[in-house]
Amino acid sequence: MKKHLKPSDMAMSADCLCPIESGDLSPLPFPYEDFNSRTISPLNPEKVKNLETSLDNTLAVGIPKPASKEEEEVLIRQFLCGLKKLFEKENNWTFLQQLLLSMEHCAKCQTCSEACPVYEMSGKKDIYRPMFRAEVLRRIYNKYLKPGGKITARLTGGIDLNWTTVARLAELSYRCTLCRRCAMACPIGVDNGLITHEIRKLFSQEMGISPKELHEKGTIQHLRVGSSTGMNPLGAKDSIEFIQEEMEEITGYKVEIPWDVEGADILLIHNAGEIISWPENVGAFAIIFQAAGLSWTLSSETAGYDAVNYGVWYDDVQLSRVALRHADIARRLKVKKIVVGECGHAHKALIETADRILTGEINIPRESALVTLEDIVLGGKLQLDPRRNDFPVTLHDPCNYVRLMGIVEPQRRILRKIAPRFREMTPHGVDNYCCGGGSGFAIMSGYNFAEWRNLVSSRKKFLQILNAFENESQAAPKYVCAPCSNCKGAIRDILSYYHAGERSSLYYGGLVELIVNAMESMKKPIIHFGDQPSWT
Amino acid sequence: MGFYIFSYFCAFIFLAAVACRVYRQLTLPVHLRWEIYPVQHEPTDKLVHGGSYMEDLNWWEKKLKSSLFNELKYMAPEILLLRGLWKENRSLWWVSFPFHFGLYLMIATFALLILHALLVLGGGEAYVAGGVIGALLGGLIVFMGWTGLILGVVGSFGTLFRRLADPALRAYSSFPDYFNILLVSFFFLSAFIACLLVDPLLIGAKAYVFGLLTGGRSLNAYAPAESVFGGAAILLASALAAYVPLTHMSHMFMKFFFYHKIKWDDAPNLRGGGIEDDILKNLRLKPTWNAKHIAADGRKSWADLASSAPKETK
Ligand code: SF4
Ligand code: SF4
Repeated sequence: MKKHLKPSDMAMSADCLCPIESGDLSPLPFPYEDFNSRTISPLNPEKVKNLETSLDNTLAVGIPKPASKEEEEVLIRQFLCGLKKLFEKENNWTFLQQLLLSMEHCAKCQTCSEACPVYEMSGKKDIYRPMFRAEVLRRIYNKYLKPGGKITARLTGGIDLNWTTVARLAELSYRCTLCRRCAMACPIGVDNGLITHEIRKLFSQEMGISPKELHEKGTIQHLRVGSSTGMNPLGAKDSIEFIQEEMEEITGYKVEIPWDVEGADILLIHNAGEIISWPENVGAFAIIFQAAGLSWTLSSETAGYDAVNYGVWYDDVQLSRVALRHADIARRLKVKKIVVGECGHAHKALIETADRILTGEINIPRESALVTLEDIVLGGKLQLDPRRNDFPVTLHDPCNYVRLMGIVEPQRRILRKIAPRFREMTPHGVDNYCCGGGSGFAIMSGYNFAEWRNLVSSRKKFLQILNAFENESQAAPKYVCAPCSNCKGAIRDILSYYHAGERSSLYYGGLVELIVNAMESMKKPIIHFGDQPSWT
Repeated sequence: MGFYIFSYFCAFIFLAAVACRVYRQLTLPVHLRWEIYPVQHEPTDKLVHGGSYMEDLNWWEKKLKSSLFNELKYMAPEILLLRGLWKENRSLWWVSFPFHFGLYLMIATFALLILHALLVLGGGEAYVAGGVIGALLGGLIVFMGWTGLILGVVGSFGTLFRRLADPALRAYSSFPDYFNILLVSFFFLSAFIACLLVDPLLIGAKAYVFGLLTGGRSLNAYAPAESVFGGAAILLASALAAYVPLTHMSHMFMKFFFYHKIKWDDAPNLRGGGIEDDILKNLRLKPTWNAKHIAADGRKSWADLASSAPKETK
């Protein structure tokens, strides 16, 4: 295997361009050294025999191999056609300026590489350098779409465009969490995360190629059935009814969750994954909003009870469709504002990115739940006893609303008030590291991709969590507060993969659970560490 | 005269290329928001932690605050001292800073040389004969010129060495990357040698710039080609001016757009505002994406597609 892979090597014939081998990954400390020799389990040859698997040890998209040379050529032509459209305002007004600037000004200084947790934790594999995939795209564009490109490519560094290059590039666009830490570090401002995003769009919008968790089971199902979880409105109402009962059982506090209240001040939209995987989060929101006397509602309309918008990661048209649906539901309910629950990408999609899609009467004001919660907690609307949260707490910063939206302090001001043993990770705030589940990875687990995520993209976050609690005994229960559904999913998976519950007594949950846990009106705690209640 | 014609030609290319780049940026459609925090024009209470106005309850009911002072406080060390690189990639900063600062000082020296030429033209013999302003300006030109040349030589050859010696940089470098650095290095080197050997007080440089402003009428009858290195420096400086805006090195001024149009572009779209007008224009554009779920046919607009449900899955 070559020591340093160059962008032109993407066209090279090899069964696996960049394998991750035992001992390659960045080492973990005690008591996790046994994972240091662990590598990704091989793909099942039966399952992948018709798929393009020649990039690394895993698969996120799983692109079928073309059946013939002709089909291969058609696909390459489609790719080039899509690439051209990325540079046309009719097709890509949404990100044209960002793309042009980033494509034209990279100085190849590699500063971005040091900022990327995937690159660092992979043991510095070249293909995971932020600028690697950008440079592949740049070279293809310069050679195949710019006038005279085939001649200048001899000097500027060419690349051969074959089906392998195209398929590997599609896969490689799903080895980056779009955390944009690299863009923050770039001394010029070049955004390799953006270029990855554009590559994903090209494949989805032109060629219909995307991971099924994001598309078929994601945005398509969301728009058709009502939620990317597959839950229809009836199912959502049933589940919420169940949550109401559960909450009373768990905390001894009776809560009523309002549906479709026209003219309410707030339409609260959760990531529907919470309803299924973390019902206590939905229940905790209801308890807080009710106790604070807020006028609020949930919506039972198709897509109105699921804030996710996977389009923000791979497809601008799907992004717009979902955002429009959310905003229109709020318009019809005549609410004053939409409040987005603990879901980072939903924040970014609906509050920030879609801000320049929503016009006129569907441009309904949108706010982060963290801001609403801060007003409740710091405004003295609840009676709180922080001693109930007398255990070590650290905070994960979801990239989507921290680095990418500047919502940094409300959650901290809350924690300082309710969690006396709160401590920061290093680094934190806008300098944070991604949970490793960003850009859809948290919900992508086909083939052996979840293993790649746990071992590579989430590794840095795991190290940060361990470091945050390094002065605590392994046996003391500790709480990782992750106020974002996808981050929570990724953190749940790393804690389980590394047996961190058993080995370091690590637990995780959202922010609202900590608030409810500290509410004096709760007869019983909402947070438990295994079978143990957090207070008695 | 050939030197002057070449310099005029390069100046023309420089102006045209810069104008084209800037014009294209200014006429691009408004895009979706894609900022990264900290956004440096936020008021200090937000900026200290990288916060935004979206941290405030009902932010749309309040007047948004922005601080030009905070922005300038960030931009000055970023542009002049490459603060970002110092923070993120210290080992590269040691060569990149002298490289860039050397270039800045060359630009500043050139500006002073123009000022000098204008004063000569305006004040004539009286100015040339001496006086405090003339002496100060002359001293400043010599100081800036020499500092810039020394930094430039160190920085440009250092950058070249780094690119060759570091396998990670070498693996991603192609001919133009080396060519660009070599062009700058040779300019610095030839100008440095010219000053060292024949023109330590930059009298020749003054004469040439005066000549540039007067259609080739050189002050003190200076002929640049008399010194091979002086001539080379003039040719390379002119070529560099024309060449930089044609390459990725235009980041020196295009950085403005990176920051103001993307990283810090947090302007919200308010009902009835200018951004909304631009968005409505964009929503009338007709895409031609081919995937079936998009259902674009070149006749339907973005607004049509966004408000429709996907019929096909692929
Ligand atoms: S993207 Fe920025 S940091 Fe990365 S190599 Fe290019 S110029 Fe350097
Ligand atoms: S966006 Fe994040 S994961 Fe992707 S290349 Fe940049 S730093 Fe790495």
